[in-house]
Amino acid sequence: MRNQSSVKQEFLRKWITGLRRYSCEKKNMSFFERKKAIKLSADLAMASTRDKTTRWSQALIANNTDNVFIASSSSSSPKKSSSSRSRNMTTLMRRSRPTRVKSAKKEMSSARCIAKRLMEKRTRKLKNLLPGGESMDEGCLVAETLDYIQSLRDQIEVMRCLVTASQLIINPS
Amino acid sequence: MEQATGVLRGSAHDDVVLESIQFNEEIRGIMAPAPAPENGSSFTALLELPPTQAVELLHSPDCAAAAREPPCHVNTNQKPYLLDSYGGNLTFPSNAALIERAAKFSVFAGENSPPEDAARLAPTSLSGAVKNEPQETDSNPCSTQGCVSDPAVETKNERTPKRKEREKKGKGSLKKSKGIADESSGDGEKLPYVHVRVRRGQATDSHSLAERARREKINARMKLLQELVPGCNKISGTALVLDEIINHVQSLQRQVEFLSMKLAAVNPRIDFSLDSLLATDGSSVMDSNLTSMATPVMWPENLADGNRQHYQQQWQFDAFHQPLWGREEANHNFMTPEHSLLSYDSSANSASLHSNQLKMEL
Repeated sequence: MRNQSSVKQEFLRKWITGLRRYSCEKKNMSFFERKKAIKLSADLAMASTRDKTTRWSQALIANNTDNVFIASSSSSSPKKSSSSRSRNMTTLMRRSRPTRVKSAKKEMSSARCIAKRLMEKRTRKLKNLLPGGESMDEGCLVAETLDYIQSLRDQIEVMRCLVTASQLIINPS
Repeated sequence: MEQATGVLRGSAHDDVVLESIQFNEEIRGIMAPAPAPENGSSFTALLELPPTQAVELLHSPDCAAAAREPPCHVNTNQKPYLLDSYGGNLTFPSNAALIERAAKFSVFAGENSPPEDAARLAPTSLSGAVKNEPQETDSNPCSTQGCVSDPAVETKNERTPKRKEREKKGKGSLKKSKGIADESSGDGEKLPYVHVRVRRGQATDSHSLAERARREKINARMKLLQELVPGCNKISGTALVLDEIINHVQSLQRQVEFLSMKLAAVNPRIDFSLDSLLATDGSSVMDSNLTSMATPVMWPENLADGNRQHYQQQWQFDAFHQPLWGREEANHNFMTPEHSLLSYDSSANSASLHSNQLKMEL
Protein backbone atom coordinates (compact mmCIF):
# COMPACT_ATOMS: atom_id res chain seq x y z
CA MET A 1 0.00 0.00 0.00
CA ARG A 2 1.28 3.42 0.79
CA ASN A 3 4.64 3.95 2.27
CA GLN A 4 3.47 4.65 5.74
CA SER A 5 6.37 6.40 7.35
CA SER A 6 7.05 8.65 4.41
CA VAL A 7 3.44 9.65 4.26
CA LYS A 8 3.50 10.46 7.93
CA GLN A 9 6.66 12.48 7.61
CA GLU A 10 5.25 14.44 4.76
CA PHE A 11 2.09 15.05 6.67
CA LEU A 12 3.99 16.22 9.69
CA ARG A 13 6.09 18.60 7.71
CA LYS A 14 3.16 20.12 5.93
CA TRP A 15 1.22 20.41 9.08
CA ILE A 16 3.94 22.21 10.92
CA THR A 17 4.42 24.57 8.03
CA GLY A 18 0.77 25.37 8.11
CA LEU A 19 0.82 25.86 11.82
CA ARG A 20 3.74 28.18 11.59
CA ARG A 21 1.89 30.27 9.11
CA TYR A 22 -0.97 30.43 11.49
CA SER A 23 1.21 31.43 14.37
CA CYS A 24 2.88 34.30 12.63
CA GLU A 25 -0.35 35.70 11.39
CA LYS A 26 -2.20 35.84 14.64
CA LYS A 27 -0.40 36.25 17.87
CA ASN A 28 -3.10 35.77 20.40
CA MET A 29 -5.60 33.14 19.79
CA SER A 30 -8.14 31.69 22.10
CA PHE A 31 -8.14 28.07 22.90
CA PHE A 32 -10.81 27.18 20.47
CA GLU A 33 -9.29 29.19 17.74
CA ARG A 34 -6.07 27.40 18.26
CA LYS A 35 -7.77 24.07 18.25
CA LYS A 36 -9.55 24.91 15.08
CA ALA A 37 -6.36 26.08 13.49
CA ILE A 38 -4.55 22.96 14.49
CA LYS A 39 -7.25 20.70 13.24
CA LEU A 40 -7.64 22.59 10.03
CA SER A 41 -3.99 22.58 9.22
CA ALA A 42 -3.80 18.91 10.07
CA ASP A 43 -6.69 18.08 7.81
CA LEU A 44 -5.33 20.13 5.00
CA ALA A 45 -1.92 18.65 5.37
CA MET A 46 -3.37 15.17 5.31
CA ALA A 47 -5.42 15.99 2.28
CA SER A 48 -2.47 17.43 0.46
CA THR A 49 -0.39 14.36 1.05
CA ARG A 50 -2.82 12.50 -1.11
CA ASP A 51 -1.83 14.83 -3.90
CA LYS A 52 -5.32 15.23 -5.12
CA THR A 53 -5.58 11.66 -6.12
CA THR A 54 -8.69 11.21 -4.10
CA ARG A 55 -11.90 13.08 -4.19
CA TRP A 56 -12.24 13.56 -0.50
CA SER A 57 -8.92 15.30 -0.30
CA GLN A 58 -9.83 17.63 -3.08
CA ALA A 59 -13.16 18.39 -1.51
CA LEU A 60 -11.53 18.97 1.85
CA ILE A 61 -9.06 21.40 0.40
CA ALA A 62 -11.70 23.14 -1.62
CA ASN A 63 -14.02 23.54 1.31
CA ASN A 64 -11.44 24.79 3.73
CA THR A 65 -9.10 26.79 1.63
CA ASP A 66 -11.69 29.35 0.76
CA ASN A 67 -12.40 30.09 4.36
CA VAL A 68 -8.96 30.26 5.71
CA PHE A 69 -6.05 30.75 3.49
CA ILE A 70 -7.46 33.16 1.08
CA ALA A 71 -8.45 35.36 3.94
CA SER A 72 -5.04 35.25 5.45
CA SER A 73 -2.28 37.21 3.90
CA SER A 74 0.28 34.51 3.93
CA SER A 75 -1.50 31.90 1.97
CA SER A 76 0.68 29.21 0.63
CA SER A 77 0.71 29.28 -3.09
CA PRO A 78 0.34 25.57 -3.65
CA LYS A 79 -2.72 25.57 -1.48
CA LYS A 80 -4.23 28.45 -3.34
CA SER A 81 -3.68 26.94 -6.71
CA SER A 82 -4.88 23.68 -5.39
CA SER A 83 -8.07 25.32 -4.27
CA SER A 84 -8.82 26.69 -7.69
CA ARG A 85 -7.83 23.45 -9.26
CA SER A 86 -9.86 21.50 -6.82
CA ARG A 87 -12.84 23.71 -7.45
CA ASN A 88 -12.55 23.00 -11.13
CA MET A 89 -12.10 19.39 -10.39
CA THR A 90 -15.18 19.21 -8.25
CA THR A 91 -17.26 20.89 -10.89
CA LEU A 92 -15.85 18.59 -13.49
CA MET A 93 -16.54 15.64 -11.34
CA ARG A 94 -20.06 16.71 -10.75
CA ARG A 95 -20.62 17.06 -14.42
CA SER A 96 -19.09 13.78 -15.31
CA ARG A 97 -20.81 11.86 -12.60
CA PRO A 98 -21.65 8.48 -14.03
CA THR A 99 -25.30 7.88 -14.56
CA ARG A 100 -26.71 5.02 -12.69
CA VAL A 101 -27.92 2.06 -14.61
CA LYS A 102 -31.41 1.28 -13.55
CA SER A 103 -31.85 -2.18 -12.28
CA ALA A 104 -33.58 -4.48 -14.64
CA LYS A 105 -35.58 -6.03 -11.89
CA LYS A 106 -39.12 -4.97 -12.19
CA GLU A 107 -40.64 -6.55 -9.18
CA MET A 108 -39.12 -6.18 -5.77
CA SER A 109 -40.28 -8.04 -2.79
CA SER A 110 -40.96 -6.08 0.34
CA ALA A 111 -37.91 -7.56 2.02
CA ARG A 112 -35.79 -6.25 -0.73
CA CYS A 113 -37.39 -2.86 -0.43
CA ILE A 114 -36.56 -2.75 3.22
CA ALA A 115 -33.02 -3.82 2.61
CA LYS A 116 -32.64 -1.23 -0.08
CA ARG A 117 -33.94 1.44 2.20
CA LEU A 118 -31.51 0.43 4.91
CA MET A 119 -28.66 0.58 2.49
CA GLU A 120 -29.74 3.97 1.25
CA LYS A 121 -29.85 5.31 4.75
CA ARG A 122 -26.40 4.12 5.49
CA THR A 123 -24.86 5.27 2.28
CA ARG A 124 -26.34 8.67 2.87
CA LYS A 125 -24.83 8.72 6.33
CA LEU A 126 -21.47 7.74 4.95
CA LYS A 127 -21.71 10.39 2.31
CA ASN A 128 -22.32 12.98 4.94
CA LEU A 129 -19.34 11.84 6.90
CA LEU A 130 -16.94 11.87 4.05
CA PRO A 131 -15.75 15.25 2.84
CA GLY A 132 -17.13 15.79 -0.59
CA GLY A 133 -19.04 12.60 -0.38
CA GLU A 134 -22.29 13.85 -1.73
CA SER A 135 -21.23 13.77 -5.30
CA MET A 136 -19.97 10.25 -5.26
CA ASP A 137 -21.56 7.14 -6.50
CA GLU A 138 -21.46 3.94 -4.56
CA GLY A 139 -18.35 2.40 -5.95
CA CYS A 140 -16.45 5.61 -5.60
CA LEU A 141 -17.77 6.01 -2.11
CA VAL A 142 -16.40 2.72 -0.93
CA ALA A 143 -12.98 3.36 -2.40
CA GLU A 144 -12.87 6.84 -0.99
CA THR A 145 -13.89 5.61 2.43
CA LEU A 146 -11.06 3.14 2.34
CA ASP A 147 -8.56 5.82 1.56
CA TYR A 148 -10.04 8.24 4.01
CA ILE A 149 -9.87 5.77 6.86
CA GLN A 150 -6.23 5.10 6.14
CA SER A 151 -5.42 8.76 5.98
CA LEU A 152 -7.27 9.45 9.19
CA ARG A 153 -5.34 6.74 10.93
CA ASP A 154 -2.05 8.18 9.82
CA GLN A 155 -3.11 11.61 10.85
CA ILE A 156 -4.12 10.42 14.28
CA GLU A 157 -0.84 8.66 14.79
CA VAL A 158 1.18 11.70 13.89
CA MET A 159 -0.92 13.95 16.04
CA ARG A 160 -0.66 11.65 18.97
CA CYS A 161 3.09 11.53 18.63
CA LEU A 162 3.23 15.26 18.51
CA VAL A 163 1.06 15.58 21.55
CA THR A 164 3.12 13.23 23.62
CA ALA A 165 6.28 14.86 22.37
CA SER A 166 5.21 18.33 23.26
CA GLN A 167 3.97 17.14 26.59
CA LEU A 168 7.35 15.67 27.25
CA ILE A 169 8.98 18.93 26.39
CA ILE A 170 6.80 20.96 28.63
CA ASN A 171 6.86 18.47 31.38
CA PRO A 172 10.20 16.78 31.25
CA SER A 173 9.53 14.41 34.09
CA MET B 1 -29.49 -54.57 -21.05
CA GLU B 2 -27.25 -55.99 -18.40
CA GLN B 3 -25.09 -53.08 -18.94
CA ALA B 4 -28.04 -50.86 -18.63
CA THR B 5 -29.14 -52.26 -15.33
CA GLY B 6 -25.61 -52.31 -14.06
CA VAL B 7 -25.26 -48.75 -15.06
CA LEU B 8 -28.51 -47.93 -13.41
CA ARG B 9 -27.23 -49.19 -10.13
CA GLY B 10 -23.91 -47.62 -10.71
CA SER B 11 -25.42 -44.37 -11.63
CA ALA B 12 -27.54 -44.33 -8.53
CA HIS B 13 -24.36 -44.64 -6.61
CA ASP B 14 -22.74 -42.11 -8.78
CA ASP B 15 -25.37 -39.64 -7.95
CA VAL B 16 -23.58 -39.13 -4.74
CA VAL B 17 -20.26 -38.87 -6.43
CA LEU B 18 -21.41 -36.58 -9.12
CA GLU B 19 -23.69 -34.69 -6.87
CA SER B 20 -21.91 -31.48 -7.43
CA ILE B 21 -22.19 -31.82 -11.11
CA GLN B 22 -25.40 -30.63 -12.52
CA PHE B 23 -26.68 -32.38 -15.49
CA ASN B 24 -30.10 -31.14 -15.91
CA GLU B 25 -29.40 -28.59 -18.51
CA GLU B 26 -27.21 -31.00 -20.27
CA ILE B 27 -29.85 -33.61 -20.14
CA ARG B 28 -32.46 -31.36 -21.42
CA GLY B 29 -30.13 -30.00 -23.96
CA ILE B 30 -29.51 -33.40 -25.20
CA MET B 31 -33.07 -34.43 -25.01
CA ALA B 32 -34.67 -31.38 -26.48
CA PRO B 33 -33.46 -31.75 -30.02
CA ALA B 34 -34.46 -35.33 -29.89
CA PRO B 35 -38.02 -35.33 -28.82
CA ALA B 36 -38.83 -38.46 -30.64
CA PRO B 37 -36.79 -40.96 -28.75
CA GLU B 38 -37.48 -39.32 -25.45
CA ASN B 39 -40.08 -41.74 -24.50
CA GLY B 40 -37.87 -44.56 -25.51
CA SER B 41 -36.98 -46.96 -22.89
CA SER B 42 -33.39 -47.27 -23.75
CA PHE B 43 -30.89 -44.80 -22.44
CA THR B 44 -29.22 -44.57 -25.72
CA ALA B 45 -32.44 -43.45 -27.25
CA LEU B 46 -32.67 -40.76 -24.63
CA LEU B 47 -29.20 -39.69 -25.41
CA GLU B 48 -29.77 -39.81 -29.09
CA LEU B 49 -26.39 -41.23 -29.38
CA PRO B 50 -25.11 -44.30 -31.03
CA PRO B 51 -25.03 -47.12 -28.61
CA THR B 52 -21.30 -47.29 -28.44
CA GLN B 53 -21.04 -43.75 -27.34
CA ALA B 54 -23.71 -44.22 -24.80
CA VAL B 55 -21.96 -47.21 -23.39
CA GLU B 56 -18.79 -45.30 -23.10
CA LEU B 57 -20.57 -42.45 -21.48
CA LEU B 58 -22.21 -44.78 -19.10
CA HIS B 59 -18.97 -46.45 -18.34
CA SER B 60 -17.17 -43.35 -17.43
CA PRO B 61 -18.88 -42.56 -14.14
CA ASP B 62 -18.26 -46.06 -13.03
CA CYS B 63 -14.66 -45.45 -13.56
CA ALA B 64 -14.88 -42.22 -11.73
CA ALA B 65 -16.53 -43.86 -8.82
CA ALA B 66 -14.38 -46.91 -8.64
CA ALA B 67 -10.97 -46.11 -9.88
CA ARG B 68 -9.83 -42.75 -10.96
CA GLU B 69 -8.64 -43.89 -14.27
CA PRO B 70 -11.17 -43.99 -16.98
CA PRO B 71 -11.49 -46.76 -19.42
CA CYS B 72 -9.45 -44.88 -21.86
CA HIS B 73 -9.17 -47.83 -23.97
CA VAL B 74 -12.86 -47.85 -24.31
CA ASN B 75 -12.93 -44.27 -25.26
CA THR B 76 -10.23 -44.52 -27.74
CA ASN B 77 -12.26 -47.01 -29.59
CA GLN B 78 -15.05 -44.54 -29.76
CA LYS B 79 -15.20 -41.29 -31.47
CA PRO B 80 -12.12 -39.23 -31.01
CA TYR B 81 -13.96 -36.10 -30.21
CA LEU B 82 -14.04 -36.91 -26.61
CA LEU B 83 -10.31 -37.11 -26.58
CA ASP B 84 -10.09 -33.87 -28.42
CA SER B 85 -12.39 -32.11 -26.13
CA TYR B 86 -10.43 -33.27 -23.19
CA GLY B 87 -7.23 -32.27 -24.72
CA GLY B 88 -6.01 -35.68 -23.93
CA ASN B 89 -7.04 -35.62 -20.36
CA LEU B 90 -9.43 -38.38 -19.70
CA THR B 91 -9.08 -38.66 -16.01
CA PHE B 92 -12.19 -37.94 -14.09
CA PRO B 93 -11.26 -35.90 -11.08
CA SER B 94 -13.43 -36.54 -8.16
CA ASN B 95 -12.93 -33.08 -6.94
CA ALA B 96 -15.67 -30.80 -8.04
CA ALA B 97 -13.30 -27.93 -8.46
CA LEU B 98 -11.16 -29.88 -10.80
CA ILE B 99 -14.21 -30.88 -12.68
CA GLU B 100 -15.18 -27.30 -13.06
CA ARG B 101 -11.79 -26.29 -14.24
CA ALA B 102 -11.70 -29.12 -16.66
CA ALA B 103 -15.10 -28.02 -17.76
CA LYS B 104 -13.81 -24.62 -18.57
CA PHE B 105 -10.94 -26.03 -20.50
CA SER B 106 -13.21 -28.36 -22.23
CA VAL B 107 -15.37 -25.44 -23.11
CA PHE B 108 -12.39 -23.84 -24.71
CA ALA B 109 -11.56 -27.04 -26.39
CA GLY B 110 -15.13 -27.32 -27.41
CA GLU B 111 -14.82 -23.99 -29.11
CA ASN B 112 -11.95 -25.02 -31.21
CA SER B 113 -13.04 -28.54 -31.69
CA PRO B 114 -13.88 -29.83 -35.08
CA PRO B 115 -17.34 -29.24 -36.40
CA GLU B 116 -18.60 -32.54 -35.30
CA ASP B 117 -17.99 -31.55 -31.78
CA ALA B 118 -19.63 -28.29 -32.41
CA ALA B 119 -22.52 -30.06 -33.91
CA ARG B 120 -22.64 -32.36 -31.00
CA LEU B 121 -22.27 -29.60 -28.49
CA ALA B 122 -24.56 -27.27 -30.26
CA PRO B 123 -27.71 -28.70 -28.79
CA THR B 124 -26.36 -27.94 -25.40
CA SER B 125 -26.28 -24.25 -25.72
CA LEU B 126 -24.36 -23.90 -22.55
CA SER B 127 -21.38 -25.43 -24.12
CA GLY B 128 -21.00 -22.43 -26.33
CA ALA B 129 -18.17 -20.02 -25.93
CA VAL B 130 -19.30 -19.16 -22.51
CA LYS B 131 -17.54 -18.75 -19.26
CA ASN B 132 -20.12 -19.78 -16.80
CA GLU B 133 -20.18 -20.11 -13.10
CA PRO B 134 -18.64 -23.30 -11.86
CA GLN B 135 -21.95 -24.86 -11.22
CA GLU B 136 -23.14 -24.06 -14.61
CA THR B 137 -20.12 -25.54 -16.22
CA ASP B 138 -21.21 -28.84 -15.02
CA SER B 139 -23.07 -29.29 -18.19
CA ASN B 140 -19.89 -28.94 -20.09
CA PRO B 141 -18.00 -31.54 -18.22
CA CYS B 142 -20.98 -33.66 -18.70
CA SER B 143 -20.97 -33.14 -22.37
CA THR B 144 -17.32 -33.39 -22.89
CA GLN B 145 -16.12 -35.63 -20.18
CA GLY B 146 -18.93 -37.87 -20.86
CA CYS B 147 -19.71 -38.55 -17.30
CA VAL B 148 -23.24 -38.38 -18.23
CA SER B 149 -24.59 -41.35 -16.56
CA ASP B 150 -27.32 -39.16 -15.37
CA PRO B 151 -28.60 -38.20 -18.72
CA ALA B 152 -28.30 -41.74 -19.65
CA VAL B 153 -30.15 -42.83 -16.62
CA GLU B 154 -32.32 -39.86 -16.67
CA THR B 155 -35.85 -40.61 -16.05
CA LYS B 156 -38.36 -38.22 -14.77
CA ASN B 157 -37.85 -39.58 -11.29
CA GLU B 158 -34.16 -38.97 -11.39
CA ARG B 159 -34.56 -35.47 -12.53
CA THR B 160 -36.29 -34.16 -9.49
CA PRO B 161 -33.67 -35.23 -6.94
CA LYS B 162 -31.05 -33.61 -9.08
CA ARG B 163 -33.03 -30.48 -9.21
CA LYS B 164 -33.45 -30.54 -5.48
CA GLU B 165 -29.78 -31.11 -4.99
CA ARG B 166 -28.95 -28.25 -7.18
CA GLU B 167 -31.34 -25.97 -5.48
CA LYS B 168 -29.89 -27.00 -2.22
CA LYS B 169 -26.69 -25.47 -3.38
CA GLY B 170 -28.27 -22.20 -2.64
CA LYS B 171 -27.70 -20.39 -5.83
CA GLY B 172 -30.43 -17.90 -5.67
CA SER B 173 -30.37 -17.17 -9.30
CA LEU B 174 -30.92 -20.72 -10.30
CA LYS B 175 -34.27 -21.32 -11.67
CA LYS B 176 -35.67 -24.50 -12.99
CA SER B 177 -34.57 -24.66 -16.52
CA LYS B 178 -37.35 -25.42 -18.80
CA GLY B 179 -35.47 -25.87 -21.97
CA ILE B 180 -32.67 -24.65 -24.04
CA ALA B 181 -34.20 -21.26 -24.29
CA ASP B 182 -33.72 -20.78 -20.62
CA GLU B 183 -30.25 -22.08 -20.82
CA SER B 184 -29.32 -19.75 -23.54
CA SER B 185 -30.59 -16.92 -21.47
CA GLY B 186 -28.19 -17.98 -18.81
CA ASP B 187 -25.22 -17.68 -21.05
CA GLY B 188 -22.70 -15.07 -20.28
CA GLU B 189 -20.52 -13.06 -22.45
CA LYS B 190 -18.08 -14.43 -24.91
CA LEU B 191 -14.78 -15.30 -23.42
CA PRO B 192 -12.14 -12.96 -24.68
CA TYR B 193 -13.88 -9.83 -23.53
CA VAL B 194 -15.31 -9.36 -20.12
CA HIS B 195 -14.79 -12.04 -17.61
CA VAL B 196 -18.04 -11.89 -15.86
CA ARG B 197 -19.50 -14.74 -14.03
CA VAL B 198 -23.04 -15.05 -15.14
CA ARG B 199 -25.60 -16.86 -13.16
CA ARG B 200 -28.22 -18.89 -14.79
CA GLY B 201 -31.38 -17.13 -15.65
CA GLN B 202 -29.97 -13.62 -15.51
CA ALA B 203 -30.14 -11.24 -18.36
CA THR B 204 -27.17 -10.97 -20.57
CA ASP B 205 -27.52 -7.60 -22.14
CA SER B 206 -24.65 -5.26 -21.78
CA HIS B 207 -26.33 -3.07 -19.22
CA SER B 208 -26.89 -5.74 -16.68
CA LEU B 209 -23.49 -7.18 -17.31
CA ALA B 210 -21.85 -3.87 -16.75
CA GLU B 211 -23.89 -3.45 -13.65
CA ARG B 212 -22.86 -6.83 -12.44
CA ALA B 213 -19.23 -6.08 -13.05
CA ARG B 214 -19.62 -2.87 -11.16
CA ARG B 215 -21.30 -4.72 -8.35
CA GLU B 216 -18.47 -7.14 -8.11
CA LYS B 217 -15.97 -4.35 -8.00
CA ILE B 218 -17.88 -2.74 -5.18
CA ASN B 219 -18.07 -5.99 -3.31
CA ALA B 220 -14.36 -6.50 -3.60
CA ARG B 221 -13.76 -3.08 -2.16
CA MET B 222 -16.21 -3.71 0.63
CA LYS B 223 -14.21 -6.77 1.53
CA LEU B 224 -11.11 -4.64 1.77
CA LEU B 225 -12.94 -2.24 3.99
CA GLN B 226 -14.08 -5.07 6.15
CA GLU B 227 -10.53 -6.10 6.69
CA LEU B 228 -9.49 -2.60 7.47
CA VAL B 229 -12.12 -1.85 10.03
CA PRO B 230 -11.53 -3.90 13.14
CA GLY B 231 -14.28 -6.25 14.02
CA CYS B 232 -15.96 -6.28 10.69
CA ASN B 233 -14.83 -9.67 9.62
CA LYS B 234 -17.34 -11.54 11.63
CA ILE B 235 -20.26 -9.47 10.59
CA SER B 236 -22.22 -10.68 7.67
CA GLY B 237 -24.55 -8.46 5.79
CA THR B 238 -23.67 -5.27 4.09
CA ALA B 239 -25.87 -3.02 6.17
CA LEU B 240 -24.24 -4.00 9.43
CA VAL B 241 -20.81 -3.74 7.94
CA LEU B 242 -21.64 -0.29 6.71
CA ASP B 243 -22.78 0.58 10.18
CA GLU B 244 -19.46 -0.48 11.57
CA ILE B 245 -17.61 1.48 8.95
CA ILE B 246 -19.60 4.57 9.70
CA ASN B 247 -18.92 4.19 13.39
CA HIS B 248 -15.26 3.75 12.71
CA VAL B 249 -15.03 6.84 10.55
CA GLN B 250 -16.91 8.85 13.11
CA SER B 251 -14.63 7.67 15.87
CA LEU B 252 -11.57 8.52 13.84
CA GLN B 253 -12.84 11.99 13.15
CA ARG B 254 -13.59 12.49 16.81
CA GLN B 255 -10.11 11.35 17.66
CA VAL B 256 -8.68 13.94 15.35
CA GLU B 257 -10.75 16.62 16.98
CA PHE B 258 -9.74 15.50 20.38
CA LEU B 259 -6.07 15.37 19.59
CA SER B 260 -6.12 18.77 18.03
CA MET B 261 -7.78 20.08 21.16
CA LYS B 262 -5.16 18.44 23.24
CA LEU B 263 -2.44 19.99 21.19
CA ALA B 264 -4.06 23.35 21.49
CA ALA B 265 -4.16 22.86 25.22
CA VAL B 266 -0.60 21.74 25.51
CA ASN B 267 0.91 24.49 23.47
CA PRO B 268 0.21 28.06 24.32
CA ARG B 269 1.14 29.19 20.90
CA ILE B 270 1.07 27.32 17.71
CA ASP B 271 4.75 27.50 17.45
CA PHE B 272 6.51 24.31 16.78
CA SER B 273 10.17 24.44 16.25
CA LEU B 274 10.57 22.72 13.02
CA ASP B 275 14.24 22.25 13.61
CA SER B 276 13.81 20.13 16.63
CA LEU B 277 11.12 18.08 15.09
CA LEU B 278 13.06 17.39 11.99
CA ALA B 279 16.42 17.30 13.67
CA THR B 280 16.80 13.63 13.35
CA ASP B 281 14.72 13.50 10.28
CA GLY B 282 16.04 10.32 8.92
CA SER B 283 13.80 7.59 7.86
CA SER B 284 11.39 7.57 10.71
CA VAL B 285 10.39 10.76 12.31
CA MET B 286 7.96 8.97 14.47
CA ASP B 287 10.55 6.98 16.29
CA SER B 288 12.85 9.86 16.74
CA ASN B 289 10.11 12.24 17.63
CA LEU B 290 10.02 11.44 21.26
CA THR B 291 13.74 11.33 21.66
CA SER B 292 14.32 14.55 19.82
CA MET B 293 11.63 16.22 21.80
CA ALA B 294 13.29 15.25 24.98
CA THR B 295 16.34 17.29 24.14
CA PRO B 296 15.82 20.80 25.31
CA VAL B 297 15.31 23.31 22.60
CA MET B 298 14.85 27.02 22.70
CA TRP B 299 11.23 27.65 23.07
CA PRO B 300 10.30 24.74 25.31
CA GLU B 301 12.83 25.87 27.86
CA ASN B 302 11.46 29.33 27.91
CA LEU B 303 8.04 27.94 28.15
CA ALA B 304 8.85 25.65 30.99
CA ASP B 305 10.50 28.39 32.95
CA GLY B 306 7.76 30.80 32.28
CA ASN B 307 5.19 28.28 33.35
CA ARG B 308 6.85 27.60 36.62
CA GLN B 309 7.15 31.26 37.36
CA HIS B 310 3.60 32.02 36.58
CA TYR B 311 2.37 29.11 38.47
CA GLN B 312 4.26 30.21 41.50
CA GLN B 313 3.53 33.87 41.16
CA GLN B 314 0.36 35.27 39.88
CA TRP B 315 -2.42 35.06 37.42
CA GLN B 316 -1.87 38.32 35.69
CA PHE B 317 0.11 36.60 33.09
CA ASP B 318 -0.90 36.07 29.59
CA ALA B 319 -4.01 34.01 29.43
CA PHE B 320 -2.24 31.47 27.29
CA HIS B 321 0.07 30.34 29.99
CA GLN B 322 -2.71 29.93 32.44
CA PRO B 323 -4.58 27.40 30.44
CA LEU B 324 -1.39 25.45 30.31
CA TRP B 325 -1.43 24.70 33.99
CA GLY B 326 -5.10 24.48 34.16
CA ARG B 327 -4.93 22.08 31.36
CA GLU B 328 -2.18 20.07 32.89
CA GLU B 329 -4.61 18.51 35.24
CA ALA B 330 -7.14 18.23 32.52
CA ASN B 331 -4.56 16.48 30.46
CA HIS B 332 -4.32 13.77 33.01
CA ASN B 333 -8.00 13.42 32.70
CA PHE B 334 -7.58 13.44 29.01
CA MET B 335 -5.17 10.59 29.05
CA THR B 336 -7.65 8.06 30.22
CA PRO B 337 -10.62 9.05 28.15
CA GLU B 338 -8.47 9.40 25.15
CA HIS B 339 -8.84 5.88 24.17
CA SER B 340 -12.44 5.71 25.06
CA LEU B 341 -13.00 8.53 22.66
CA LEU B 342 -14.94 10.66 25.02
CA SER B 343 -13.82 13.68 23.22
CA TYR B 344 -16.99 15.48 23.90
CA ASP B 345 -16.55 14.99 27.60
CA SER B 346 -13.10 16.41 27.39
CA SER B 347 -14.33 19.36 25.46
CA ALA B 348 -16.79 19.94 28.25
CA ASN B 349 -13.91 19.76 30.71
CA SER B 350 -11.83 22.17 28.76
CA ALA B 351 -14.73 24.49 28.34
CA SER B 352 -15.33 24.52 32.07
CA LEU B 353 -11.67 25.09 32.73
CA HIS B 354 -11.66 27.87 30.24
CA SER B 355 -14.54 29.51 31.96
CA ASN B 356 -12.84 29.08 35.32
CA GLN B 357 -9.73 30.67 34.02
CA LEU B 358 -11.69 33.54 32.65
CA LYS B 359 -13.28 34.08 36.02
CA MET B 360 -9.90 34.07 37.63
CA GLU B 361 -8.63 36.61 35.22
CA LEU B 362 -11.48 38.86 36.04
